[in-house]
Amino acid sequence: MPFFRVIQWVVWKDLISELRSRETLSSMLFFALIVILVFSFSFAMDQDAAQQLIAGIIWVSFVFTGIIGLGKSFSAELQNDAIEYLQMSPAPKGAIYLGKMIGNLLFMLVVEIMLFPLFVLFFNLDIVEEIGLLLLIFFLATLGLSAVGTLFSALTVQIRAREVMLPVLLLPLAVPVMIAAVEATRGALEGQPLVIYSQWIELLTIFDIIFTVVSFWLFDLILDS
Amino acid sequence: MAIQAFQLTKSFGNYLIFEDLSFEIPKGECFALFGSNGAGKTTLLRVLATLVRPTSGRFSILDHDGLTEKEPVRQAIMFLAHGSHLYDDLNAQENLRFAMAMRGQHPSSKELKLCLDQVNLGAFAEMKTRNFSAGMKRRLALAKVILAQPQVLLLDEPYNALDEGGVEVTNHIIRDMTKRAGIVVMTTHDREKATQVAHRTGLLHQGILTFSSTDNSTAHAIF
Repeated sequence: MPFFRVIQWVVWKDLISELRSRETLSSMLFFALIVILVFSFSFAMDQDAAQQLIAGIIWVSFVFTGIIGLGKSFSAELQNDAIEYLQMSPAPKGAIYLGKMIGNLLFMLVVEIMLFPLFVLFFNLDIVEEIGLLLLIFFLATLGLSAVGTLFSALTVQIRAREVMLPVLLLPLAVPVMIAAVEATRGALEGQPLVIYSQWIELLTIFDIIFTVVSFWLFDLILDS
Repeated sequence: MAIQAFQLTKSFGNYLIFEDLSFEIPKGECFALFGSNGAGKTTLLRVLATLVRPTSGRFSILDHDGLTEKEPVRQAIMFLAHGSHLYDDLNAQENLRFAMAMRGQHPSSKELKLCLDQVNLGAFAEMKTRNFSAGMKRRLALAKVILAQPQVLLLDEPYNALDEGGVEVTNHIIRDMTKRAGIVVMTTHDREKATQVAHRTGLLHQGILTFSSTDNSTAHAIF
Protein backbone atom coordinates (compact mmCIF):
# COMPACT_ATOMS: atom_id res chain seq x y z
CA MET A 1 0.00 0.00 0.00
CA PRO A 2 1.54 3.38 -1.00
CA PHE A 3 2.94 4.88 2.21
CA PHE A 4 2.78 8.53 1.16
CA ARG A 5 -0.79 8.30 -0.12
CA VAL A 6 -1.91 7.11 3.32
CA ILE A 7 -0.18 10.14 4.87
CA GLN A 8 -1.92 12.43 2.36
CA TRP A 9 -5.34 10.93 3.07
CA VAL A 10 -4.98 11.22 6.85
CA VAL A 11 -3.87 14.88 6.55
CA TRP A 12 -6.71 15.54 4.09
CA LYS A 13 -9.27 13.98 6.43
CA ASP A 14 -8.07 15.99 9.46
CA LEU A 15 -7.92 19.27 7.51
CA ILE A 16 -11.38 18.86 5.95
CA SER A 17 -12.89 17.90 9.31
CA GLU A 18 -11.28 20.90 10.99
CA LEU A 19 -12.22 23.34 8.24
CA ARG A 20 -15.85 22.30 8.71
CA SER A 21 -16.03 22.06 12.48
CA ARG A 22 -13.34 24.66 13.41
CA GLU A 23 -13.45 22.97 16.79
CA THR A 24 -9.72 22.61 17.41
CA LEU A 25 -8.48 25.89 15.96
CA SER A 26 -11.15 28.01 17.65
CA SER A 27 -10.50 26.52 21.10
CA MET A 28 -6.72 26.88 20.64
CA LEU A 29 -7.05 30.49 19.52
CA PHE A 30 -9.46 31.42 22.29
CA PHE A 31 -7.18 29.96 24.96
CA ALA A 32 -4.08 31.61 23.48
CA LEU A 33 -5.75 35.01 23.30
CA ILE A 34 -6.64 34.82 26.98
CA VAL A 35 -3.05 33.87 27.85
CA ILE A 36 -1.64 36.78 25.83
CA LEU A 37 -4.07 39.24 27.42
CA VAL A 38 -3.26 38.01 30.94
CA PHE A 39 0.48 38.30 30.34
CA SER A 40 0.22 41.67 28.64
CA PHE A 41 -1.79 43.13 31.55
CA SER A 42 0.54 41.50 34.10
CA PHE A 43 3.58 43.20 32.55
CA ALA A 44 1.89 46.45 31.51
CA MET A 45 3.76 48.43 34.17
CA ASP A 46 7.12 46.75 33.74
CA GLN A 47 8.18 46.61 30.10
CA ASP A 48 11.79 45.73 31.01
CA ALA A 49 10.74 42.58 32.83
CA ALA A 50 8.46 41.74 29.93
CA GLN A 51 11.32 42.04 27.45
CA GLN A 52 13.45 39.69 29.56
CA LEU A 53 10.71 37.09 29.88
CA ILE A 54 9.08 37.39 26.48
CA ALA A 55 10.67 34.24 24.99
CA GLY A 56 9.34 32.18 27.91
CA ILE A 57 5.94 33.84 27.70
CA ILE A 58 5.71 33.07 23.99
CA TRP A 59 6.56 29.40 24.50
CA VAL A 60 4.30 28.92 27.52
CA SER A 61 1.46 30.20 25.33
CA PHE A 62 2.43 28.07 22.34
CA VAL A 63 2.97 24.86 24.32
CA PHE A 64 -0.26 25.02 26.31
CA THR A 65 -2.20 26.04 23.22
CA GLY A 66 -0.60 23.13 21.39
CA ILE A 67 -1.64 20.70 24.13
CA ILE A 68 -5.27 21.72 23.57
CA GLY A 69 -4.94 20.89 19.88
CA LEU A 70 -3.08 17.64 20.53
CA GLY A 71 -5.74 16.56 23.01
CA LYS A 72 -8.41 16.94 20.35
CA SER A 73 -6.37 15.21 17.67
CA PHE A 74 -7.24 11.64 18.57
CA SER A 75 -10.46 12.33 20.41
CA ALA A 76 -11.94 12.97 16.94
CA GLU A 77 -11.11 9.35 16.18
CA LEU A 78 -13.40 8.24 19.00
CA GLN A 79 -16.47 9.44 17.09
CA ASN A 80 -18.34 6.34 15.99
CA ASP A 81 -15.32 4.26 17.10
CA ALA A 82 -13.45 5.37 13.98
CA ILE A 83 -10.16 4.57 15.72
CA GLU A 84 -11.05 0.87 15.42
CA TYR A 85 -11.11 1.21 11.65
CA LEU A 86 -7.59 2.68 11.72
CA GLN A 87 -6.44 -0.08 14.08
CA MET A 88 -7.61 -2.89 11.83
CA SER A 89 -6.89 -1.24 8.49
CA PRO A 90 -3.99 -2.73 6.55
CA ALA A 91 -2.55 0.78 6.08
CA PRO A 92 0.98 1.20 7.50
CA LYS A 93 0.57 2.53 11.02
CA GLY A 94 3.66 4.67 10.62
CA ALA A 95 1.96 6.48 7.74
CA ILE A 96 -1.13 7.07 9.88
CA TYR A 97 1.13 8.49 12.60
CA LEU A 98 2.90 10.83 10.18
CA GLY A 99 -0.44 11.99 8.75
CA LYS A 100 -1.78 12.79 12.21
CA MET A 101 1.50 14.47 13.18
CA ILE A 102 1.55 16.67 10.08
CA GLY A 103 -2.08 17.67 10.73
CA ASN A 104 -1.23 18.63 14.32
CA LEU A 105 1.88 20.50 13.17
CA LEU A 106 -0.19 22.52 10.68
CA PHE A 107 -2.84 23.43 13.26
CA MET A 108 -0.21 24.50 15.78
CA LEU A 109 1.74 26.53 13.22
CA VAL A 110 -1.42 28.28 11.99
CA VAL A 111 -2.26 29.32 15.54
CA GLU A 112 1.32 30.44 16.23
CA ILE A 113 1.42 32.52 13.04
CA MET A 114 -1.83 34.20 14.06
CA LEU A 115 -0.68 34.82 17.61
CA PHE A 116 2.85 36.04 17.08
CA PRO A 117 1.81 39.43 15.61
CA LEU A 118 -0.18 39.99 18.83
CA PHE A 119 2.96 39.38 20.90
CA VAL A 120 4.82 41.84 18.66
CA LEU A 121 2.05 44.38 19.17
CA PHE A 122 1.46 43.97 22.90
CA PHE A 123 5.13 43.62 23.88
CA ASN A 124 6.57 46.04 21.36
CA LEU A 125 9.01 43.55 19.81
CA ASP A 126 11.45 44.41 17.06
CA ILE A 127 11.54 41.34 14.83
CA VAL A 128 12.14 42.70 11.32
CA GLU A 129 15.74 41.48 10.99
CA GLU A 130 15.26 38.11 12.67
CA ILE A 131 11.88 37.09 11.30
CA GLY A 132 13.30 34.27 9.15
CA LEU A 133 15.21 32.76 12.07
CA LEU A 134 12.25 33.12 14.40
CA LEU A 135 10.02 31.27 11.94
CA LEU A 136 12.63 28.50 11.68
CA ILE A 137 12.78 28.21 15.49
CA PHE A 138 8.98 28.13 15.71
CA PHE A 139 8.84 25.42 13.06
CA LEU A 140 11.51 23.21 14.63
CA ALA A 141 10.16 23.49 18.17
CA THR A 142 6.57 22.92 17.04
CA LEU A 143 7.67 19.88 15.03
CA GLY A 144 9.24 18.37 18.16
CA LEU A 145 6.12 19.04 20.23
CA SER A 146 3.87 17.69 17.53
CA ALA A 147 6.01 14.54 17.08
CA VAL A 148 5.91 13.51 20.71
CA GLY A 149 2.46 15.02 21.36
CA THR A 150 0.81 13.00 18.60
CA LEU A 151 2.18 9.79 20.12
CA PHE A 152 0.92 10.70 23.61
CA SER A 153 -2.41 11.83 22.22
CA ALA A 154 -2.84 8.32 20.76
CA LEU A 155 -1.61 6.75 24.00
CA THR A 156 -4.07 8.63 26.23
CA VAL A 157 -7.11 8.77 23.96
CA GLN A 158 -8.74 5.61 25.29
CA ILE A 159 -8.22 6.35 28.98
CA ARG A 160 -10.75 8.14 31.12
CA ALA A 161 -8.61 11.00 32.44
CA ARG A 162 -7.03 11.78 29.06
CA GLU A 163 -7.35 15.58 29.46
CA VAL A 164 -5.16 15.34 32.58
CA MET A 165 -2.86 12.55 31.45
CA LEU A 166 -1.81 14.14 28.16
CA PRO A 167 -0.05 17.17 29.71
CA VAL A 168 1.23 15.09 32.64
CA LEU A 169 2.98 12.69 30.25
CA LEU A 170 3.88 15.18 27.53
CA LEU A 171 5.33 18.11 29.45
CA PRO A 172 8.29 16.30 31.08
CA LEU A 173 9.35 14.98 27.68
CA ALA A 174 8.78 18.36 26.06
CA VAL A 175 10.98 20.18 28.56
CA PRO A 176 14.18 19.87 26.46
CA VAL A 177 12.31 21.21 23.41
CA MET A 178 10.88 24.07 25.46
CA ILE A 179 14.25 25.02 26.93
CA ALA A 180 15.93 24.97 23.51
CA ALA A 181 13.04 26.90 21.96
CA VAL A 182 13.08 29.58 24.68
CA GLU A 183 16.87 30.03 24.49
CA ALA A 184 16.90 30.21 20.69
CA THR A 185 13.94 32.61 20.63
CA ARG A 186 15.56 34.82 23.27
CA GLY A 187 18.77 34.96 21.22
CA ALA A 188 16.90 35.90 18.07
CA LEU A 189 14.69 38.52 19.77
CA GLU A 190 17.69 40.15 21.51
CA GLY A 191 19.51 40.35 18.18
CA GLN A 192 22.46 38.24 19.40
CA PRO A 193 24.83 36.87 16.75
CA LEU A 194 23.56 33.52 15.48
CA VAL A 195 26.72 31.73 16.59
CA ILE A 196 25.80 32.33 20.25
CA TYR A 197 22.47 30.51 20.12
CA SER A 198 22.87 28.26 17.08
CA GLN A 199 23.54 25.25 19.35
CA TRP A 200 19.95 25.54 20.61
CA ILE A 201 18.68 25.36 17.04
CA GLU A 202 20.88 22.32 16.44
CA LEU A 203 19.53 20.77 19.62
CA LEU A 204 15.96 21.36 18.42
CA THR A 205 16.80 19.61 15.14
CA ILE A 206 18.24 16.62 17.01
CA PHE A 207 15.19 16.39 19.28
CA ASP A 208 12.93 16.53 16.23
CA ILE A 209 14.73 13.63 14.59
CA ILE A 210 14.80 11.50 17.75
CA PHE A 211 11.19 12.19 18.72
CA THR A 212 9.88 11.59 15.20
CA VAL A 213 11.78 8.35 14.64
CA VAL A 214 10.98 6.88 18.07
CA SER A 215 7.32 7.90 17.90
CA PHE A 216 7.04 6.50 14.37
CA TRP A 217 8.21 3.08 15.56
CA LEU A 218 6.20 3.08 18.78
CA PHE A 219 2.92 4.16 17.19
CA ASP A 220 2.13 0.71 15.77
CA LEU A 221 2.51 -0.78 19.26
CA ILE A 222 0.34 1.90 20.86
CA LEU A 223 -2.44 1.73 18.26
CA ASP A 224 -2.52 -2.06 18.51
CA SER A 225 -2.73 -2.07 22.28
CA MET B 1 -10.44 -24.11 5.88
CA ALA B 2 -10.72 -20.35 5.68
CA ILE B 3 -11.07 -19.55 9.36
CA GLN B 4 -9.59 -21.87 11.93
CA ALA B 5 -9.64 -21.26 15.64
CA PHE B 6 -7.83 -23.49 18.09
CA GLN B 7 -8.54 -23.39 21.82
CA LEU B 8 -9.29 -19.67 21.84
CA THR B 9 -9.71 -18.31 25.34
CA LYS B 10 -10.43 -14.76 26.37
CA SER B 11 -10.75 -13.33 29.84
CA PHE B 12 -10.87 -9.78 31.15
CA GLY B 13 -9.19 -9.91 34.57
CA ASN B 14 -11.01 -12.60 36.54
CA TYR B 15 -13.92 -12.72 34.10
CA LEU B 16 -13.68 -15.63 31.72
CA ILE B 17 -15.53 -14.71 28.51
CA PHE B 18 -14.98 -17.95 26.60
CA GLU B 19 -12.62 -20.86 26.97
CA ASP B 20 -11.01 -23.32 24.55
CA LEU B 21 -13.16 -22.44 21.54
CA SER B 22 -12.12 -24.48 18.53
CA PHE B 23 -13.96 -24.20 15.22
CA GLU B 24 -13.52 -24.06 11.49
CA ILE B 25 -15.43 -22.07 8.90
CA PRO B 26 -14.95 -23.00 5.25
CA LYS B 27 -14.97 -20.66 2.27
CA GLY B 28 -18.40 -19.81 0.93
CA GLU B 29 -20.10 -20.13 4.30
CA CYS B 30 -22.13 -17.68 6.29
CA PHE B 31 -21.93 -18.53 9.96
CA ALA B 32 -24.39 -16.90 12.36
CA LEU B 33 -23.50 -16.81 16.02
CA PHE B 34 -26.22 -16.48 18.63
CA GLY B 35 -26.02 -16.09 22.36
CA SER B 36 -27.39 -14.04 25.19
CA ASN B 37 -25.99 -10.62 26.14
CA GLY B 38 -22.52 -10.98 27.59
CA ALA B 39 -22.00 -14.43 26.10
CA GLY B 40 -18.86 -13.21 24.35
CA LYS B 41 -20.09 -13.00 20.73
CA THR B 42 -18.76 -9.50 20.10
CA THR B 43 -15.49 -10.30 21.86
CA LEU B 44 -15.02 -13.33 19.62
CA LEU B 45 -15.59 -11.16 16.53
CA ARG B 46 -13.14 -8.56 17.85
CA VAL B 47 -10.54 -11.28 18.34
CA LEU B 48 -11.04 -12.45 14.74
CA ALA B 49 -10.85 -8.80 13.60
CA THR B 50 -7.41 -8.53 15.28
CA LEU B 51 -8.70 -5.78 17.57
CA VAL B 52 -8.39 -7.85 20.75
CA ARG B 53 -5.68 -10.36 21.53
CA PRO B 54 -6.91 -13.69 22.89
CA THR B 55 -5.68 -14.64 26.33
CA SER B 56 -4.58 -17.97 24.88
CA GLY B 57 -5.13 -20.07 21.80
CA ARG B 58 -4.56 -19.32 18.13
CA PHE B 59 -6.56 -18.59 15.00
CA SER B 60 -5.84 -18.24 11.33
CA ILE B 61 -7.69 -16.55 8.52
CA LEU B 62 -7.01 -17.70 4.96
CA ASP B 63 -3.90 -19.51 6.21
CA HIS B 64 -2.47 -16.39 7.86
CA ASP B 65 -1.87 -16.54 11.59
CA GLY B 66 -4.12 -14.00 13.31
CA LEU B 67 -1.55 -13.18 15.98
CA THR B 68 1.68 -12.99 14.02
CA GLU B 69 0.55 -12.09 10.48
CA LYS B 70 -1.89 -9.32 11.19
CA GLU B 71 -1.33 -7.31 8.00
CA PRO B 72 -2.48 -9.99 5.49
CA VAL B 73 -5.35 -10.87 7.83
CA ARG B 74 -6.40 -7.20 7.96
CA GLN B 75 -6.19 -6.98 4.19
CA ALA B 76 -8.61 -9.90 3.91
CA ILE B 77 -11.19 -8.95 6.53
CA MET B 78 -13.72 -6.23 7.07
CA PHE B 79 -15.50 -5.77 10.39
CA LEU B 80 -18.76 -3.90 10.73
CA ALA B 81 -19.02 -3.25 14.44
CA HIS B 82 -21.51 -1.43 16.67
CA GLY B 83 -19.80 1.87 15.83
CA SER B 84 -20.12 2.94 12.21
CA HIS B 85 -16.43 4.01 11.96
CA LEU B 86 -17.54 7.21 10.21
CA TYR B 87 -16.30 10.78 10.63
CA ASP B 88 -19.20 13.11 11.36
CA ASP B 89 -17.72 16.14 9.58
CA LEU B 90 -17.11 14.30 6.31
CA ASN B 91 -19.93 13.62 3.88
CA ALA B 92 -20.93 10.14 2.76
CA GLN B 93 -18.74 10.14 -0.32
CA GLU B 94 -15.71 11.50 1.54
CA ASN B 95 -16.13 8.89 4.28
CA LEU B 96 -16.12 6.16 1.65
CA ARG B 97 -13.07 7.62 -0.10
CA PHE B 98 -11.13 7.80 3.16
CA ALA B 99 -12.15 4.31 4.30
CA MET B 100 -11.12 2.81 0.97
CA ALA B 101 -7.85 4.75 0.91
CA MET B 102 -6.96 3.14 4.25
CA ARG B 103 -7.32 -0.22 2.46
CA GLY B 104 -5.24 0.93 -0.50
CA GLN B 105 -8.26 1.28 -2.78
CA HIS B 106 -9.19 4.39 -4.73
CA PRO B 107 -12.67 4.07 -6.26
CA SER B 108 -13.77 6.53 -8.95
CA SER B 109 -16.62 8.98 -8.41
CA LYS B 110 -18.79 6.81 -10.63
CA GLU B 111 -18.09 3.72 -8.53
CA LEU B 112 -18.88 5.65 -5.37
CA LYS B 113 -22.15 6.88 -6.79
CA LEU B 114 -23.16 3.40 -7.95
CA CYS B 115 -22.32 1.98 -4.57
CA LEU B 116 -24.27 4.66 -2.70
CA ASP B 117 -27.23 4.01 -5.00
CA GLN B 118 -27.05 0.31 -4.13
CA VAL B 119 -27.56 1.11 -0.45
CA ASN B 120 -30.18 3.76 -1.26
CA LEU B 121 -27.99 6.67 -0.14
CA GLY B 122 -27.40 8.14 -3.59
CA ALA B 123 -29.39 11.25 -2.72
CA PHE B 124 -27.32 11.83 0.41
CA ALA B 125 -23.82 11.57 -1.09
CA GLU B 126 -22.93 15.17 -0.20
CA MET B 127 -24.55 15.20 3.23
CA LYS B 128 -22.34 15.21 6.33
CA THR B 129 -22.78 11.92 8.17
CA ARG B 130 -23.34 13.93 11.37
CA ASN B 131 -26.90 14.34 10.09
CA PHE B 132 -27.38 10.65 9.25
CA SER B 133 -29.71 8.41 11.23
CA ALA B 134 -28.35 5.20 12.77
CA GLY B 135 -29.86 3.20 9.92
CA MET B 136 -28.26 5.45 7.29
CA LYS B 137 -24.89 5.09 9.00
CA ARG B 138 -25.35 1.33 8.93
CA ARG B 139 -26.14 1.47 5.21
CA LEU B 140 -23.05 3.58 4.57
CA ALA B 141 -20.97 0.99 6.41
CA LEU B 142 -22.49 -1.62 4.07
CA ALA B 143 -21.41 0.55 1.13
CA LYS B 144 -17.82 0.12 2.35
CA VAL B 145 -18.25 -3.65 2.11
CA ILE B 146 -19.56 -3.38 -1.46
CA LEU B 147 -16.56 -1.28 -2.47
CA ALA B 148 -13.92 -3.19 -0.53
CA GLN B 149 -15.10 -6.68 -1.55
CA PRO B 150 -13.32 -8.30 1.42
CA GLN B 151 -12.73 -12.04 1.50
CA VAL B 152 -13.96 -12.27 5.09
CA LEU B 153 -16.79 -10.19 6.49
CA LEU B 154 -17.37 -9.94 10.23
CA LEU B 155 -20.74 -8.47 11.17
CA ASP B 156 -21.73 -7.52 14.69
CA GLU B 157 -25.52 -7.25 15.01
CA PRO B 158 -25.89 -6.35 11.31
CA TYR B 159 -29.67 -5.89 11.39
CA ASN B 160 -29.69 -3.33 14.19
CA ALA B 161 -31.30 -0.01 13.22
CA LEU B 162 -32.07 -1.20 9.69
CA ASP B 163 -35.46 -1.01 8.02
CA GLU B 164 -36.71 -3.80 5.75
CA GLY B 165 -34.88 -2.37 2.76
CA GLY B 166 -31.64 -2.23 4.75
CA VAL B 167 -32.08 -5.84 5.89
CA GLU B 168 -32.59 -6.86 2.27
CA VAL B 169 -29.42 -5.00 1.21
CA THR B 170 -27.48 -6.69 4.04
CA ASN B 171 -28.69 -10.16 3.12
CA HIS B 172 -28.00 -9.49 -0.56
CA ILE B 173 -24.39 -8.56 0.28
CA ILE B 174 -24.03 -11.69 2.41
CA ARG B 175 -25.41 -13.96 -0.33
CA ASP B 176 -23.20 -12.26 -2.90
CA MET B 177 -20.12 -12.75 -0.73
CA THR B 178 -20.73 -16.43 -0.07
CA LYS B 179 -21.40 -17.00 -3.78
CA ARG B 180 -17.94 -15.56 -4.44
CA ALA B 181 -16.52 -18.07 -1.92
CA GLY B 182 -16.19 -15.36 0.70
CA ILE B 183 -16.82 -15.99 4.38
CA VAL B 184 -19.32 -14.17 6.58
CA VAL B 185 -19.39 -14.44 10.34
CA MET B 186 -22.18 -12.57 12.06
CA THR B 187 -23.46 -12.23 15.59
CA THR B 188 -27.11 -11.47 16.03
CA HIS B 189 -30.17 -11.96 18.18
CA ASP B 190 -32.41 -11.99 15.12
CA ARG B 191 -32.59 -15.70 14.28
CA GLU B 192 -35.31 -15.26 11.68
CA LYS B 193 -33.34 -12.82 9.51
CA ALA B 194 -30.03 -14.60 10.05
CA THR B 195 -31.29 -18.05 9.11
CA GLN B 196 -32.39 -16.68 5.73
CA VAL B 197 -28.72 -16.42 4.77
CA ALA B 198 -26.70 -18.49 7.24
CA HIS B 199 -25.45 -21.94 6.27
CA ARG B 200 -24.59 -22.79 9.84
CA THR B 201 -25.47 -21.33 13.17
CA GLY B 202 -23.79 -21.56 16.52
CA LEU B 203 -24.80 -20.84 20.06
CA LEU B 204 -22.29 -19.39 22.46
CA HIS B 205 -23.46 -20.14 25.96
CA GLN B 206 -21.37 -20.06 29.14
CA GLY B 207 -18.21 -20.08 27.06
CA ILE B 208 -19.17 -23.18 25.04
CA LEU B 209 -19.93 -23.08 21.32
CA THR B 210 -22.43 -25.55 19.83
CA PHE B 211 -23.18 -25.73 16.10
CA SER B 212 -26.24 -26.53 14.02
CA SER B 213 -27.04 -26.44 10.30
CA THR B 214 -29.78 -24.44 8.58
CA ASP B 215 -31.85 -24.99 5.46
CA ASN B 216 -29.21 -23.00 3.55
CA SER B 217 -26.43 -25.39 4.59
CA THR B 218 -26.34 -27.16 1.23
CA ALA B 219 -25.88 -23.86 -0.57
CA HIS B 220 -22.17 -23.61 0.15
CA ALA B 221 -21.43 -27.23 -0.65
CA ILE B 222 -20.94 -26.36 -4.31
CA PHE B 223 -17.92 -24.13 -3.56
